[in-house]
Amino acid sequence: MIPESLKKTLEARVASAITAREAAVDVMKELQAHYGWLTDEAVGEAASLLGLSPLQVEELATFYEMIYRRPVGKKVIHVCDSISCWCVDCEGIIEHLKKKLGVGLGETTADGMFTLLPCCCMGMCGDGPAMSVGDVPYGKLTPELVDEILEMERQKA
Amino acid sequence: MPKLIIDDIPVEVAPGTSVLEAARSVGITIPHFCYHPALAIAAACRLCAVKLLDGPVKGIQMSCALPAQDGMVVSTTDPEALRMRQLVIEWLMMNHPHDCPVCDEGGECLLQDFTIAGGHSRRRYQGKKRTFQNQYLGETIHHEMNRCIECYRCVRFYQDYAGGTDFGVTGSAGRVYFGRFKEGALESPFSGNLVDICPTGVFTDKTGRFRARYWDYEFAPSVCQHCSVGCNTAPQNFQRETIKIVGRRNDQVNGWFICDRARFDKGYLNDPQRPREARLDGATCGYEDAIDAAAKAIGKFVAQNGAESLAFVASSRLSLEGMTLLAQLARTVDGARLCYFGDGAELAGSVAAARLLHEKNSAYLRDIEKAECIALYSLDLMEEGPMLALAVRKAFLAGAQIYLVDGDPIPAKQKLPFTFTAVANLDEVPFEGGGRGVVIAGAGKKDADLLDQLASGGAKLVMLQPGPNAMAGGLLTLEFGGEAFSELASAGKIKGVVCFEADLPDGLTADVEVLACADWRNSAAAVKAPVFLPTTTWVESDGTAINYEGRAQRFRRTRVSGLPLKGLDSKYYGSAADAAAEHPPRVHRKEIPGGAERDAWRVMAQLIERLGGRTIEEPLTGRWSKLKDLDPEGEGVRVFNLLQGDPRTEP
Repeated sequence: MIPESLKKTLEARVASAITAREAAVDVMKELQAHYGWLTDEAVGEAASLLGLSPLQVEELATFYEMIYRRPVGKKVIHVCDSISCWCVDCEGIIEHLKKKLGVGLGETTADGMFTLLPCCCMGMCGDGPAMSVGDVPYGKLTPELVDEILEMERQKA
Repeated sequence: MPKLIIDDIPVEVAPGTSVLEAARSVGITIPHFCYHPALAIAAACRLCAVKLLDGPVKGIQMSCALPAQDGMVVSTTDPEALRMRQLVIEWLMMNHPHDCPVCDEGGECLLQDFTIAGGHSRRRYQGKKRTFQNQYLGETIHHEMNRCIECYRCVRFYQDYAGGTDFGVTGSAGRVYFGRFKEGALESPFSGNLVDICPTGVFTDKTGRFRARYWDYEFAPSVCQHCSVGCNTAPQNFQRETIKIVGRRNDQVNGWFICDRARFDKGYLNDPQRPREARLDGATCGYEDAIDAAAKAIGKFVAQNGAESLAFVASSRLSLEGMTLLAQLARTVDGARLCYFGDGAELAGSVAAARLLHEKNSAYLRDIEKAECIALYSLDLMEEGPMLALAVRKAFLAGAQIYLVDGDPIPAKQKLPFTFTAVANLDEVPFEGGGRGVVIAGAGKKDADLLDQLASGGAKLVMLQPGPNAMAGGLLTLEFGGEAFSELASAGKIKGVVCFEADLPDGLTADVEVLACADWRNSAAAVKAPVFLPTTTWVESDGTAINYEGRAQRFRRTRVSGLPLKGLDSKYYGSAADAAAEHPPRVHRKEIPGGAERDAWRVMAQLIERLGGRTIEEPLTGRWSKLKDLDPEGEGVRVFNLLQGDPRTEP
């Protein structure tokens, strides 16, 4: 269940869109922020807000990599494994992240702080290897820098 | 009109035609998976690559998404194009299981055909194949997602064409998955078309999986006998059993697709309990003996009670051949009554359609699809003519206004795949000068004045019928003066009936004597009749049906009649106690077990002969004789012009 205030905000967002589908990503992101991830319940709520079927919301939700259809940690780390970052050894960075956090790709740390996901290019090819933590992008990563960032993000949380 | 050259053949096509379609028009099939003539272009599979040697664009292009233009020189056989197609096949096969022998699609699989044709034979990719969990999609469709080659045909059909919302495509890249949000039966009443439209074995017909291979099937062009739309089908039979029914293209009637009732409702055809042997007073007898007995009973009855208290009754299940002969049979028994309809309201509706419709005002599929304004006149379209709902949807997507006129509200069982405005009566529907407007009326009770009003409105008309061949019943009722059985019975005018595939209303036969009954169903009259004559169904006989728009269509016999080999009754085995079913009879015999059924019209012809009439070789005589050579693979013939200006000649 979402609070009445959030429901009203979302209904207004849908009403201001030319077609309901256009508001789908915003609605899903708001619901995700509320629940922590886009739960089945949230998919149902999005569907009724948008006038779509749950399947049609699922089609969009599973297309976007920043909409999470499974539980994630407080902050999600998207680390680029695409070609530009691969040229500057993103594989080393990914290995370091795995070891440091004690998780594999797609897994969440035991304290529920971080979820580690690979991603395909975030438009920071000039600053590779790159990752984002939460909503903050970081470039020119080195193992030492990664340690610092993780520590800092943990503090901020 | 763009002129281009494809493989040295000059082609001229209408503007907007794709290169793939242009090639097809001169008999060149460019391999393709995602392209389907009825669906929007996706250009997803990349298989239809051709090389453009000269003209406005050059090099390798996807022919399905490339509109033909003046001056194009296209090669479908250029080594570069061939190599491209071979590589596309190779990567489509990267994840596809190599297990055709255990796949139900094997033998009728487009992927199999084009893999062989494309020349890919050795796997180079060493990695693992991606795999998925399948979903339960109901009792009619089996899902095997690992076989998917991401052509998007299924979702384009299901959501875009048929308006379903519970099946679609999720994920992205290598995780693309075609299915539902949660497991469960597909909701669309057109879901069965996924089986036909999938180029490989992701969706197969669960009601007939692993019963036979494509090359085992006996099939022939047929016409669905579930409603009055008359969609074209091809029943696939094996060992006297209808295993699957698939859609058959007819652009005038149903396009490419059929509804789920047409596809899956086939149990009654294979039912081992179907009455298959002639019976005399409850005991099995020879067919000729039963016909003799029927003729004798009719003669005796007429002598005692007079011909006017005898009725020959049929229903819209009977073919046109049977219907015309029924009139001759009634005439042979001088003064006997003729009933093509059990129910008075149904008769009134069909006769009104036969009277009011003509070549100009009778709307067909394309009229509906191209209409600007459509009024649905108190009917449940998804029940009475589901395929027309897809035509209305097409018009709706093109901008047509749809109105539901609820003079006599009928609760809809299925949601309509388009949005409409509900209005109270027909006057509120803004038919602009009558141009490209269509009124679709159901078969339900409507008074004659109202129907006249519908017909005089200037819009084209669809008058759906209460049964598959009810339009023929209406036309023949007008021609031969048929009556409704219910009215005759309640007026106490008749004492005896002879039934031919009749569906008599319950309770009405209580006070009348059923002299004989010919049917392929165990109806109440069949149980009651002292003489029973088993007849063939539409899959086991040649025949003609006239659909709602007055289009006569010929269906062919798709298999011989007889008990299906599977689950044969134990009396056909060496010993009655031997339960080793699933095997042919161990008793040598010449005739097919349970194969005594005859076409209803042939039974009538024999009765006519026994009752002193002529010998009949050809059932379609008089003005109907023009339908004798109707092509079962053609688009059918509208009967209005055929029947007009041709006073019926006595046969």
